[in-house]
Amino acid sequence: MKRTTKRTLEKKERIRKGALLITAAIAAAGIAAGCGSKDGKDAGKDTISKEQTETGKTDASEPAGTTASEGADEGSKAFSYPVADGGTLSYWLELNANAAANYSSLNDAEFGKKLQENTGITVEFQHPAVGQLQEQFNLLLSNRTLPDIIEYSWLTYAGGPQKAIEDGVVLPLNDVIDSYCPNLKAYLEANPDVDKMIKTDDGTYYCFPFIRGGEKLKTSTGLMLRGDWLDELGLEVPTTMDEWYDVLTAFKTEKNASAPFTYWYSSQGLTDNNPFAYAYGAPRNFYIGDDNKVHFGAVEDGYREYLQTMHKWMSEGLIDVDLATLTNDQVSAKITNGSAGASFGWCGSSLGTWTSAGRATEEDFTLVSAPYPTVEKGDKPEFGQKDNDFVNMGCAVITTSCENVELAARLLDYAYSDEGHMLFNFGIEGTSYTMENGEPVYTDLILNNPDLSITHAMSGYIRANYNGPFVQDEAYADQYYVLDEQKEALAVWSDTNADKHIIPPVTPTVEESKEQAQIMNEINTYRDEMTLKFILGNRSFDEWDDYVETIREMNLDRVLEIQNAALERYQAR
Amino acid sequence: MKRQAKSAIRTSTGSKVFDVCNILILTLLSLVCIYPVWYVLMASFSDSSLLMQHTGPLLKPVGFSTGAYKAVLKNPMILSGYLNTLKILTIGLLTNIVMTSLGAYFLSRKGVLWKKPIMILITVTMFISGGMIPFYQTLQDFHLTDTHWGLILPFMISTYNMIILRTSFESIPESLCEAARIDGAGHWKILFAVILPLSRAMLAVMVLYYGVGIWNGWFWGSTILSDRTMYPLQVVLREILMANDTSSMTAGVAAGDVEAVGATIRYATIIVATVPILFVYPFLQKYFTKGVMVGAVKE
Amino acid sequence: MSETIGKTKERESFSIRVKKDWKRNRSLYLMVLPVILFYILFHYKPMYGAIIAFQDYNPRQGVTGSEWVGFDQFIRFFTSPYFGRLVKNTLLLSVYGIIFGFPAPIILALLLNELRARRFKKTVQTITYLPHFISLVVVTGIIKDFTQSTGLINDIIVMFGGERSSLIQNPALYRTIYIVSDIWQGIGWGSIIYLSALSGVDQQLYEAASIDGAGRWKQLIHVTLPGIAPTIVIMLIMRMGQLLGTGYEKTILLYNEATYETADVIASYIYRVGILERNWSYSTAIGLFNSVINLALLIATNKISRRVSETSLW
Repeated sequence: MKRTTKRTLEKKERIRKGALLITAAIAAAGIAAGCGSKDGKDAGKDTISKEQTETGKTDASEPAGTTASEGADEGSKAFSYPVADGGTLSYWLELNANAAANYSSLNDAEFGKKLQENTGITVEFQHPAVGQLQEQFNLLLSNRTLPDIIEYSWLTYAGGPQKAIEDGVVLPLNDVIDSYCPNLKAYLEANPDVDKMIKTDDGTYYCFPFIRGGEKLKTSTGLMLRGDWLDELGLEVPTTMDEWYDVLTAFKTEKNASAPFTYWYSSQGLTDNNPFAYAYGAPRNFYIGDDNKVHFGAVEDGYREYLQTMHKWMSEGLIDVDLATLTNDQVSAKITNGSAGASFGWCGSSLGTWTSAGRATEEDFTLVSAPYPTVEKGDKPEFGQKDNDFVNMGCAVITTSCENVELAARLLDYAYSDEGHMLFNFGIEGTSYTMENGEPVYTDLILNNPDLSITHAMSGYIRANYNGPFVQDEAYADQYYVLDEQKEALAVWSDTNADKHIIPPVTPTVEESKEQAQIMNEINTYRDEMTLKFILGNRSFDEWDDYVETIREMNLDRVLEIQNAALERYQAR
Repeated sequence: MKRQAKSAIRTSTGSKVFDVCNILILTLLSLVCIYPVWYVLMASFSDSSLLMQHTGPLLKPVGFSTGAYKAVLKNPMILSGYLNTLKILTIGLLTNIVMTSLGAYFLSRKGVLWKKPIMILITVTMFISGGMIPFYQTLQDFHLTDTHWGLILPFMISTYNMIILRTSFESIPESLCEAARIDGAGHWKILFAVILPLSRAMLAVMVLYYGVGIWNGWFWGSTILSDRTMYPLQVVLREILMANDTSSMTAGVAAGDVEAVGATIRYATIIVATVPILFVYPFLQKYFTKGVMVGAVKE
Repeated sequence: MSETIGKTKERESFSIRVKKDWKRNRSLYLMVLPVILFYILFHYKPMYGAIIAFQDYNPRQGVTGSEWVGFDQFIRFFTSPYFGRLVKNTLLLSVYGIIFGFPAPIILALLLNELRARRFKKTVQTITYLPHFISLVVVTGIIKDFTQSTGLINDIIVMFGGERSSLIQNPALYRTIYIVSDIWQGIGWGSIIYLSALSGVDQQLYEAASIDGAGRWKQLIHVTLPGIAPTIVIMLIMRMGQLLGTGYEKTILLYNEATYETADVIASYIYRVGILERNWSYSTAIGLFNSVINLALLIATNKISRRVSETSLW
C-alpha cells in the first residue's frame, strides 16, 4: 500500500516540478502575464487588488494540474491547482479530540500535508487546546493581527456575523467569491436553499460553510433499546408514548432493570431534542409552528403534558432517578451492564460504541433503534432531531488581517472542487480509499486499522468525521456506521416532519442578538431548573401557571418578536 | 532523645486513650483519602469495556490490562509534555523562590518607611485584576506569548505565598539578624546566610506550593502557546480528560458524535502525569522535623 | 505602624523622614526593586482592564474603542432575578467553609503533631495529601458516584434501614456534600503549612512546660497553639478575603439543574453568562463587585485581628 502511495506522490511531484520550471521560465522572460489574464475580474476592492501581482504568477502556472472544476466559472479558466509559487497562510481551527489524540497539528496529519501539496499553498495550522475553543477564540480576537483564516461557529459570534464584519474581524466575501471561488459559487448556484442560509439578511456572504451533503447526515440522534430484551419478552419496538410506558414497565418488572430508561441528560445537544417532549409537540426551545411563527415550546401545554408523563414515569421508577447528574460514562455503564434497557443518544458514539462494548460480555446483546414516538398510533412524528443543510460549526472566514485574500480564497474554495471534495471526505486515493465501481471505499487502513479505532484513523486523513468548510458526503456515513443497526437507525430516526419545524440560521441584528442573549440566559436557567423539579416531583403541577407567567415576565415575548422578525427577513431573502 | 525521656514520664491513662483514638482517627482518614488515588490506579489497569460496565466502588482492577499505559506512552505529546514541564519547573522554581524571598524579606523588616504602602499595593493585586484579556495583551506586548518564559515570568511571585513566607520570616528572632549586622553583614548576607537557612521548613512549603502550582497549571499554557509541541504535561492531560465532555457544551448535536477516549486511557494518563509530583513531598518532609530553630539559637 | 517611626521621639517633617529612611534602607529598597517591577509590569499594567466593567467591551476594539455604558452592567446584575440567590449561596458556602473547612487542617496538623510513631506519621501525612492532586474532573466524578442512588453512601443508608435516593440531586444536601468533599480533598494539603509552622515552635518551651508539670493538653494550649497562632491568623484573614470567591470549576462539575437553588454561585453564573453571551464587560463588572466586597472584608478582618491578636497583614 505504502509503495503505491509513494509512487503517486513522486509522480505528482514530478508534474509539479515541471510546472515550476515553466513558471520560472515565464518569469525569467520578464513577461508580466498576470495582469492580462485577470480580464475584468478586478472587483475594485482594495484588499483584493493588493494581490494582483501574485495572481499573475499563479495564473501563469496554468498547465500544471488538472482540476475537475475547471470551467465552472468563466474567470477561473486561467486558474488551476496547485498554485505555483505557493505562499503561506495562517489558519486557526479547532483540532478535534480524535485528531488531537494522534497528531499535534494538522500539519503533521496526512490530510494537512496532502492539502498543501494539492493546492500548492503552505498552511500554518494553529489550534486551540482541546476543550478551550471558546476562551481561546475570544483571546484570539483581542490580538492585533489575526490569522488569515479562522474556522469557528460564526453564527454564535456575540452580535451575529454582521457584527463580526462591523467589528473589523471578518471580510465580506461577495466579491471574493465572485472572483476567486468558482467551485463554491457553482455549488451555491446549484443549491439556492443553501445559498440562502449562508448569507446575512442583506445578502452578505461571510463564510465558507460546512454543509451536510445529504439527508442521512442531518440526523444523528434518536431512541434505542435492547432488542434482545424485546424479543425475549415478545414485545414490539414501541412507537407511541403508551407503548413506551408498557415496554419500560416490562423492562422494570421482567428484566429487573433498576433504571429502565436513562440518558445523558446534562448534554444540551441531547436534551434540546428530547424525543418524549417532541412527542407532545413541544421541544424545550424555539421551533416553527404550523402558523409559520416561532414558538417557545417550554411554555406550551404540550410541554406540561410531557413533564407530567415524565413525572409519572419517574415516580414509577421507569426513568433513572439519578437522571440529572449522570455522566456519559455512567449512562454507558448502565446500558451495557443491563441496569438500563433504553436510552437516547448518538448513532456512532452511543449505538455503535455500546453495542460493541455490550457484546464483549453478553453475546446476544443488541440495541435497536426506535422512531421518534407519537401520542397517537400510526401518526408520522412531527418532530425529530434534524440539522439544517448549513450547520453552525466549522465555517471558515477570511479575516481583515489577511494580506493575500486571493490565496486564502483559493485555498478554501479548493474544498468545494471535485478533487477537494474527495480529499476532505475520503482522503488520499490508494491510501485511505480506493474507487470500486465508481464509488469511493475506505481501505483497511481506516476501517480495520489494528492500532487505531475508525474515528481515530479517519482523523488523520479526512475531515468528514467532524466538520469544516466543505460539503460532507453521504458515502462517508454509509461506511462510518459499520453496523446494520446503525444504518437502520438513521433511516428510522430521520423519518419525521422535522423539516417544517426547524429554524433556519436566521441572523438577528446586532442589537437584537444582544438583547435576546440576555433574556434567554435568564429564561433558560429558570426553565431548566423548573423542568427538573416538575419531573422529580419537587414542584406540583398546580404551579405550572406561575412558571409560565414567570417566563413571560422575563420578557419572552420580546425574544419571540425578535425571532419572528428575523425569520420573516430570512424568508424574504 | 529528649522526646523519649518526655514520653517515658507521661504515661497517664488519659494520654494512652488519646493516643489510641488518634491513631484510629488518622488511619480512618488515610483510608478515605487514599481512595480516589486507588480508584484511578485500579481503573487505569482495568479492561476498557469491563470498566465501562462497572458501577460502584472499585477496589481492584476489573479485568487486568496494561493496554492503557501502552497507548498513553505511545502518545508523542506525553514525552514532550514531560520535558516542557521539567524545563518550566526548574527555571520557574528558582525564580519563584528568589523573588518571593526578596519580597518577603523586605516586608518582614521593621522600621522601613515605605513598607506599609508597598504592602497595601501588593495586597490589592490579590483582589483586583484586569481580567484575562488585558493580561494576555500584556504578555503579547512583552513578546512572551509562544514562549515558555510566558509561563514563568508573569508568575514569579504569588502574593499569597509571599505573605506566608513573610510571616515565617517575622517569627525569626530579631536578635539573630542584629548579631549578623554587627558582624558587618548586609541585607543580602542576612537573607541568604541567616534567614533562609532558618526558614527551611517554610521554604520547603514554598517549593511544594510553587512546584505543585507549576506542575498542575494548565490554563495559561493552553492559552499562550500555539505550538502544541510546547505544551506542558498538564495541558496534554487536560485535553485527554476533557475530550469527552466539551463537545456537548460547545457545539450542536452532531459534534457530540465523537468517539470517547477510552476511560482506562484517561486514568492511565492521570497516573503518568501525577505520580512524579507525588514523590516530591516525602523528600521535603524531612525539613518539617522539629528542632531546626533550637539548634540555630544554640549556635 | 507606630513602631516604624517610634524610634525618633520628636516629630520630624515628612521629607526628613524620607531622606533618613532612604539613607538607612537604601540597599533594602534596591533588593525589593525587582519585586516592585514585577508587580508593576504584570499586575498594575493589565489592571486598567478592569475598567471594561463600565463599558460595552469588544476585544477587537480594545478599551479605548469600546462604548462607555457607566454602571449599566452593575445595575443589570443587581436587578437580575438571581442576584439575591447568588449572593446568598456564595456567602453561605464560604461561611460554612470557614466554620468547618478552615479548622480541619489545623486539627489534622495537631493530631499529627501528637503522634509518636514517626513512620506512621509520615505515612499519614503523605496519604492525606494525595487527593489534592487528583484532577477535579475525576474527584467530582467519584463524589457523584458515591452520592447517587446506587452509590456507597446510599448502601450505608440502606444498611441502617433508610431509603435510597439521589443525594446529589437534593438541594438541601448540596452544601454538605460540597463542604465535606472540600475537606476531604484539601485537609492534608492544607495541613502542610501548619506542620511547617509547628516545626518552628521552640522545643525549649515544651521542655520548660513539662518541667512545670504541664500535661499534653496544657502544652497544646499554652505552647503549641500560641506558637502557630500567627500562621493561623494570617491564613484566616486571607480566607476572609475570599468570602465571595468560591470558584466555578467545582461548582459546575458538581451542580445540576435540580440543585441550582442552593448550588448556583456568582462564579458559576459568570461562567454561564460567558458561555451564552460572551459578555466580557458584564462578567468583569460582577468580578469587580466581588473584589470590592472581598477587599472590604479583608480590611475589616485585618483591623479586628490587629486589635485582638496583634497579628496583621500590614
